[in-house]
Order: sequence, then C-alpha cells, then structure tokens
Amino acid sequence: MASKVPEKALNLIRNYPRVALNGLKPIENDYRYKSKPRRSRMKATQSGRGNKGQGQRMTLPRIGFEGGNTPFYLRIPKEPYYRGHHLRREYPPFSLLQLQRMIDLNRVNIDEPIDLNSIVNTNIIKINPGDQEFGINLTDEGADIFQSKVCIEVQWASEATIAAIERNGGMITTRYYNTECLEAICDTLGFFARGIPIPRCPLPPRDAFEYYTNPDSRGYLADPELVKKSRFKLAQKYGYEPPNYDTENDSELFKMKDPRQIFFGLNPGWIVSMKDKAIIKPKDPDYVEYYES
Amino acid sequence: MLKCACNALFRRSVTTEYNASKILSSGFKSKISLDNLYPKNDQPFKGEKHSSPKSDEFFSGMIPLKELSIQCNRSSGPGGQNVNKVNTKVEIRFHIDSATWIPEWIKPKLKEQQENRINKNGELIVVSEKTRKQILNQADCLDKLRQMIFTAAIKPKEITPEQIELQKKREEKANMLRIQEKRRRSMLKSMRRGEF
Repeated sequence: MASKVPEKALNLIRNYPRVALNGLKPIENDYRYKSKPRRSRMKATQSGRGNKGQGQRMTLPRIGFEGGNTPFYLRIPKEPYYRGHHLRREYPPFSLLQLQRMIDLNRVNIDEPIDLNSIVNTNIIKINPGDQEFGINLTDEGADIFQSKVCIEVQWASEATIAAIERNGGMITTRYYNTECLEAICDTLGFFARGIPIPRCPLPPRDAFEYYTNPDSRGYLADPELVKKSRFKLAQKYGYEPPNYDTENDSELFKMKDPRQIFFGLNPGWIVSMKDKAIIKPKDPDYVEYYES
Repeated sequence: MLKCACNALFRRSVTTEYNASKILSSGFKSKISLDNLYPKNDQPFKGEKHSSPKSDEFFSGMIPLKELSIQCNRSSGPGGQNVNKVNTKVEIRFHIDSATWIPEWIKPKLKEQQENRINKNGELIVVSEKTRKQILNQADCLDKLRQMIFTAAIKPKEITPEQIELQKKREEKANMLRIQEKRRRSMLKSMRRGEF
C-alpha cells in the first residue's frame, strides 16, 4: 500500500494538464463560511432584523455600552502589574514527591532519560500549550525523600531541586520548548496523525535566554565545563559527593538532546506514520539543510 | 485524491523500518549542538584539583564530606505528627585535631572561638534546624561551619612603623583641638558669668 502511492502520484503528474489560470477550481465541499443570500420567500420581510427599534433601524450603541452607567470594561482599573500578562510564560509545578511516586509505581522508566514527553504520557499531569504553559517546573517538595537516580529534563528547576537530584547520582537539565514543539510533545499521537514533520525547536526568547545559558540552572545551552564546575560547587554547598556520569553501566541513561531535537531518537523534519509503522525522512537538500541548521 | 498526491510528493526517500533499539542510539547534531557552541577546552574542569588543596597555606572553603559525620535527628518546635516523625535536624561532627583539611595555624583560634560547641573528646558539633527540609538544613550546617573556619582564619592587619607614626600625629592633633575647644568654652562661660 505504501509503495503504490508514489507511483500513482507520478502517474497523475504525467497525465494531468499543465497548471494554468484557466485550470484552477476551488476545492469541493468548501468548508469556509458562505454568506447566505437574505431573500424572503413570498413578500418583503424584516430580513432577520426583527421589528422596529434600534436593532432594525441600525442605531444600536457601541459594544460594551450599558445604558449609561460606567461599563464593565471601564470600571476595572488598569494596573501596571498586569502589563504583558498575556505574554508571560507559565510553568505548572511538578514536585519531586510526585516524581518519586511515579517512579515507585512504575509509571515512568528510569533506565531511560525522563523528559516532558514521558511525564505527560503517564496522563497524571497535563500541560496545555494553548494556556501559555511552556513546560514543567520541578519543585523541591519531597526533596528529602527523593531517592532515585534519574536523568531528567524539565523546563525550570530551583537550586534545591537540582541538589536533590544530583546527590542521588542523577542528572538534570533545563530545556526550552516553544508552543509548536509543546503541541507535538503533549499530544504525540495526535501530532503524528496530522502528518506534519517534527518541528525544529527554536532558541529561547530573550528574557529566557539568560536562564537557559546559565550553568547554575543547568541550562541546555550552557558551557558543559562550567556546568561541571557548578555541580562541584553545589555538592560542596549541600554536602554530598558530586555525581559521576562516566560509568559504563549508565551509557544509555545519561543522554542529552540536541538543542533542536524534541524527541529522543527522532530528528526534526521526520514524519512518523503510526498507521504504516514507518518513518519518512526528507532527502531534498534544502529541507535537510534547514532541519540540520 | 489531490490530498493523497500532496503526501506522496513529500516522500522523496525510501521509508525505514521502525526499530526501537536503533532509534535510541542514533545521535542528531545540529549547527547549534553543544560541540559546535563550545569547542573543546584545552583546560577542562577537573574536580580532583580542588579535592586536595595545600592545607598549610589557607582554607579554600573546600570541605571533604567523607571526614565529617552527619547525623539526622528529629527537630524541635511545633508541627504535630510531621515534626515528631521526620528527621530534619542535621548535626555535623568532626574531631578538630585530626582534621587534615583545616590548616594547623587556624585550629587554636577555632577552638578558642567555638569553645561552646566543642565537646570533651575535642569534636566540633554544628547543628541546624533552621528550615523544614533536611537538605536545606544540611546546607545551613555546612555554611555555618565554613563561616566558623573563615572567621578563625582572619589574620590581624600588620601595621607598619609609618602608620604608627601617622596614628600618633593624628591623635596629638585631635587632642590639641579638643583642648582648644575646651578652653574656648571655658572662656565663654567665664565671660557670661562676669568673671575677669
């Protein structure tokens, strides 16, 4: 089935007439809104405007007008702390306690790196990219009882959280995803069903750039040598042996994604077809260059 | 029909089989991967360098945790069942004289300043139950310990003979001015009283 479609398509291209202005036609069953002609059947009627009054006579007041009293949109004062609220990113909290519980109940596999995708796939926590939610904030509640060695990737983490994970020998990275990438991560099967190539993750916006290039917050764009130094310092501060990631047994565990990559093992630009159980990769040099840049 | 054609146009390559183990090991490197952003350093950070400082010269702030004994106990204060059950109080002990990581010249000062925290066996005990979390209390303990050692390591400033001379001159001048002002006040008072 998968192999016949390209043949058919090429056949069509060979036999169809040349694309020109005289050969264009809109798609059948056009889903766009078509304005209905407002004509009455028998005699002239009100044309959907009702009887008498402002509604029929086109003299309705402006939107928001409440008959004279101060309207709602003017009653509420504008405060400076609301400025830009619609542009602010939210990172819903996810505690270490919840994470430990997930691990204990085998909801999440700690032999592989844990990222936002694996956490969301457990269906315990839901991230809504449409509500300005940009990922997970790993809080330090449960830092004392956290005992697992994990390689975890979140979007925000405080110092105590980082210490709690590293003192158990684990690795934590903070990583930025934009809304498009989050839509792919939070509803992966739905995204694959759409047949769109996996997006290439952009760099973080200016106000987040400092956080993600900072070694103290284990940003994914920070200098690895400075991150090592920061790990050592944190270990001295909180009183534990600094973690060692060089052991042979953990070669599968301690992995980091490329800054453009969203899923482990899948490159940006690939299309995953769950129905055909196949991955489609672009070969065109322009596409390849774009997705590898 | 057209939709099918559009999809087919995109498939310019051979489709690959879905193979789980193969996928995990495949590494993707873009132009902004860490290798490209930070080309290899000539002097990478090595933790070993910091683990054994020259102990006789100065205290670097580095504390070897293996040589401390850290104990977690139950904290005091209100809190009901939680405070009764959870071990959030942190106690750090170590024997001062046998500690190789503190320079020798600091030890007498440390013993003198922290007399109240040292027990009969010569062990310095640092306790913290500041926060509700054991991890933060441990950090507080270590912070306290470092502060103790740093304050014990403060060397008094060496004063040069020129500075001593300057100090003397300034003292004499200040004294002179004081006495002048005193005499002036005294004269004023006697004039007001009408004394001659």
